[in-house]
Amino acid sequence: MYNIVIIVEISNKKINILQMASSRKVIELFYDVISPYSWLGFEVMCRYRNVWNIDLKLRPAFLGGIMQGSGNKPPGLVPNKFLYMTTDLHRLAQYFQVPISPPADPFEAMFEKGSLSAMRFVAAVQEREVGGDKQVEQVSRELWMRIWSQDKDITQPASLSEAAMKAGLSASEVEELLKLSTSKEIKDKLKRSTQEALDHRAFGFPLAVCHVNGKAEVFFGSDRFELIAHCIGEKWMGPQPAAAKL
Amino acid sequence: MASSRKVIELFYDVISPYSWLGFEVMCRYRNVWNIDLKLRPAFLGGIMQGSGNKPPGLVPNKFLYMTTDLHRLAQYFQVPISPPADPFEAMFEKGSLSAMRFVAAVQEREVGGDKQVEQVSRELWMRIWSQDKDITQPASLSEAAMKAGLSASEVEELLKLSTQEALDHRAFGFPLAVCHVNGKAEVFFGSDRFELIAHCIGEPTLPLAS
Repeated sequence: MYNIVIIVEISNKKINILQMASSRKVIELFYDVISPYSWLGFEVMCRYRNVWNIDLKLRPAFLGGIMQGSGNKPPGLVPNKFLYMTTDLHRLAQYFQVPISPPADPFEAMFEKGSLSAMRFVAAVQEREVGGDKQVEQVSRELWMRIWSQDKDITQPASLSEAAMKAGLSASEVEELLKLSTSKEIKDKLKRSTQEALDHRAFGFPLAVCHVNGKAEVFFGSDRFELIAHCIGEKWMGPQPAAAKL
Repeated sequence: MASSRKVIELFYDVISPYSWLGFEVMCRYRNVWNIDLKLRPAFLGGIMQGSGNKPPGLVPNKFLYMTTDLHRLAQYFQVPISPPADPFEAMFEKGSLSAMRFVAAVQEREVGGDKQVEQVSRELWMRIWSQDKDITQPASLSEAAMKAGLSASEVEELLKLSTQEALDHRAFGFPLAVCHVNGKAEVFFGSDRFELIAHCIGEPTLPLAS
C-alpha cells in the first residue's frame, strides 16, 4: 500500500485533495477562539477525526477580519439574539459536553479586548509545529478554556504563555512563539487564512470546508453536523461518537 | 396520557424558507414524539421590527451561503424548496402580511384541529418557495378570507397577538419553537436544533432522518 498525496497549487493556495490509499476527505475548519460556537464545532470535529474517514485541517483565522470583510455584525449586538445565545450555549454545552461558561462581561471580552494577539499566537504555533497539529489543537483548546470557561484574559503575553505551557510547550518555546507571533510573517499568515475563509464567502465562524469529489462544500456553524455527514458519506452519531460505537 | 404530552408551539411565517423546514419536520414528528404541536402563524416583519434584527439575506455572503444551504437542506429533508427568481422582491418588497393574516383567519375559523391551517400554510409555502408564485394578490387572498367569514379587524388582532407573543419569548427570527417542559418554556430558534429539542423533551435524538 502506498500513499499518493496529490498537491495542486492554485494561485498560491495548496489544496491537499486526496490521499489515494485511504480516500480521506479533507475538512478544513476555520475558527477563532473568540467564538464559543467555534469551540463546539472544533471539539466535535476533533472527536470525529478518528471516527470518520477525514483529514481534519485546523485553520486558525481572525473573526474580526471576517466581520469586516463580509459586512456582517456579531450576532450578540442584537439584544434578543444575545439573550437567546446565552440559553442556547448553555444547552449546547451540556448536550455536547463542552464546558462553555460565558465570561462575566462578554461584551468586553468579545468586542473590546478581542482575539487578534491570541490568534496570531495560534498561527505562530501552527507555523512552528512539525508532524501534525497536536500543539495547535491543545493551545487552541486552552485559550477557549480561558475565555469561554474560566473567564480569564487571552490578550496579554502572560495569558498566552500560561495557555501554551498548559498545552505542554516549554518556556523557551513559548518565548520564541510570542516573538514570532508579532512578526510580519505570522501577521500575513493569519491574514491569508482569514482571506481564504472570505474567499469561501464566510460571514462568521466556525466554517467547515469539506472537499468532496474535487468540490468544496462549505458549512457555517456548529449545527450542520448531520448534513456534513450526509454530504461526505459518513454517519452522524451524536456528540460522543466513541461512546456511540460501543 | 394526554397530560404527559409536551406542548410545542411553532411560530412561523411563510416568507421564511427555514420556517418551512422546521414546519415540515415538526408535522412529521407530531405523531412520532409524545407532543402536542400548536401552530402559531405570526409575522416575521413584526419580529424584525420589534427585535431590531435585520433579515440575514441583506448580508451578501449570508445570502450566497443561504442559497447553497437551502438547496442541500431541501434535498436532505425532502422539502421542495426552490428559491424564487427574485428573492429580494418576494421577501422584502412584497412581503407576507396579507398572507399571514389569511392564515390567522383560517386558524380562527377552524374547529377541531389545525389540518386546514397546516394545509393552507403549506400551499402558501409551495407558491412562494417552490413555484415562484405570488402570495400577496388581494384578489386571491381576500376571496379566501371571505370564505373564512372573518372581518379584517379580527384577523389583524390575532396576528398581532401571536407576533407579540413571539417577541415576548425574545424572538429575533423564525422559526421559533417554544417547548413547554416541566412547566418551563424552552425556546429554540431555527430549523437546526431538532436533535437538541429531542434531548430536551426526552425523546430519542438519533437517528433523525429515518
